[in-house]
Amino acid sequence: MSLPEHQTPELRRKNLRLAWWLGALALFFLVTSFPFWNGLFKIVGNQAAP
Amino acid sequence: MTATTLTHDEVHHHDTPRGWRRWLFSTNHKDIGTLYLFFALTMLFLGGASAMLIRMELFQPGIQLLEPDLYNNLVTNHALLMIFGAVMPAAAGLANWMIPMMIGAPDMALPRMNNLSFWILPAAASMLILSFVVPFFPGGGTQINTGWTLYPPLSIQVGMSMDFLIFAIHLLGISSVLASINIIVTLLNMRAPGMTLMKMPIFCWSWLVTAFLLILVVPVLAGGVTMLLFDRHFGTSFFDAAGGGDPVLFQHLFWFFGHPEVYILLLPSIGVLSHVIPAFSRKPLFGYHSMVGAMLAVATIGMVVWAHHQYTIGMSLGAVTYFMIGTILISIPVGLMIFNFIATMWRGSMTFETPMLFAVAIILMFTFGGLSGVMLAVVPADMQYQDSMFVVAHFHYVLMPGAVFGLFAGVFYWLPKWTGHMYDERLGKLFFWINVIGFNITFFPQHFLGLAGMPRRIVDYNVMFTEFNVVSSIGAMIFGLSHLLFLYIIIKTIRGGKQARNRAWEGAKGLEWELDSPPAFHTWTVAPQIR
Repeated sequence: MSLPEHQTPELRRKNLRLAWWLGALALFFLVTSFPFWNGLFKIVGNQAAP
Repeated sequence: MTATTLTHDEVHHHDTPRGWRRWLFSTNHKDIGTLYLFFALTMLFLGGASAMLIRMELFQPGIQLLEPDLYNNLVTNHALLMIFGAVMPAAAGLANWMIPMMIGAPDMALPRMNNLSFWILPAAASMLILSFVVPFFPGGGTQINTGWTLYPPLSIQVGMSMDFLIFAIHLLGISSVLASINIIVTLLNMRAPGMTLMKMPIFCWSWLVTAFLLILVVPVLAGGVTMLLFDRHFGTSFFDAAGGGDPVLFQHLFWFFGHPEVYILLLPSIGVLSHVIPAFSRKPLFGYHSMVGAMLAVATIGMVVWAHHQYTIGMSLGAVTYFMIGTILISIPVGLMIFNFIATMWRGSMTFETPMLFAVAIILMFTFGGLSGVMLAVVPADMQYQDSMFVVAHFHYVLMPGAVFGLFAGVFYWLPKWTGHMYDERLGKLFFWINVIGFNITFFPQHFLGLAGMPRRIVDYNVMFTEFNVVSSIGAMIFGLSHLLFLYIIIKTIRGGKQARNRAWEGAKGLEWELDSPPAFHTWTVAPQIR
């Protein structure tokens, strides 16, 4: 049995679609990490005890 | 859950590829699982060797073997090799081997990506090892003396070895994210007909939760170290106070990854225990639904309590109170898991083969590590314990039993299935006892050292700490060398031994035990029907 034989074309499309969504989620967390954390950091920082 | 269609042997062994191509170009989940496991074993020995050097140095006060920078470099490398090189790949190896067989799938959903996920790892490990080696060459710069946390400003000042380390982390992160995507897609799309999510084996659930955690937190670490790289080379000031940045921001980014990482290491082992304990208690797992809920709760709460690692940076009272209460809340779902395991064993027909011995040891020792974790979660107490050997003792009591012993339990539990041979039970038990006794001799005294004020990540110490350090170092040698016995058992079992039955353990349940031992190269080419 070679590689894609165990998947129907429909299942393969479904798998790839979900994989791309998950990849996009990871990318989203990567690119938003700085602005998100910087903003949160400032909020917490502003509350810091003198 | 019962499989009614068990046609798994239509594909015969004769189409198994041969030679190096089998491993380099493999898209077979079992082969890739094997590659992950051997890679992890290699890294375990490298990380273990660095730990033994550290303990040799700490055998006596004063400087014996290692210069301070080299000592700190070894501390850094030990952590990174063990976490990223040994434990995570070992858990991924178990996932690759077992998930398709457990859910009745012929392979992982994305087999080519599975190959890529693995083969990125040796490149990443090479970068990691180079980061250790480079400073020994002319012009190689200073050694990495930051510890695995890589806090700036120190990490900005370190030589080029830090760049190797940052790229190694990038590669390791890409590998982890790709593997996680593959696991999630496999678990959501490739289950056998009739296997609903709530009929899925707990090991698969543990990996579903772990894979989502990885996808959510690893990119944040990647973002953090990328900013570090920019601060080092491109004139930015994300973490440089002189340019308007703040090094504490990096701590937030790091620990948003670093704390869930503990659960990433822990949850697959909890999944293993959820199979081992019922098998050797000859009872179904107590509280399947609550187990799933507890894992989801641990992952969710675990993602929002990261700053308990940073109490001493000067957060507001509201912030530290939130992080303290949130952290202590985690003990509720973790306690639930432990009580479920105990309830599973209650009045069961228990036998104590090696996997079960590890399981019982985990319950006792991981609970102990959890209790010292509650101590550390309390802000005023943590102010005393911060950066002391008490912290080292605590996280080793969490991670060794919680993660590594769980992986040992899994390897011994499924080794007969993988190899077709029963391992030598007498040697397995011997390994268990030497390992567990060595571990406790090593790390138990470190609690007292920490409480007495011995700081961690320091090459030298006051003579008042000598006795406990001597005991700890002797324990470390016993503990470290015991892993050679583990290697011997593995090799011996692969080479031969008593033939394993398909259901190697009397009480074992699940689709994987319906398959031959060892299973055919391709399994579940016709999906089983689950009732």
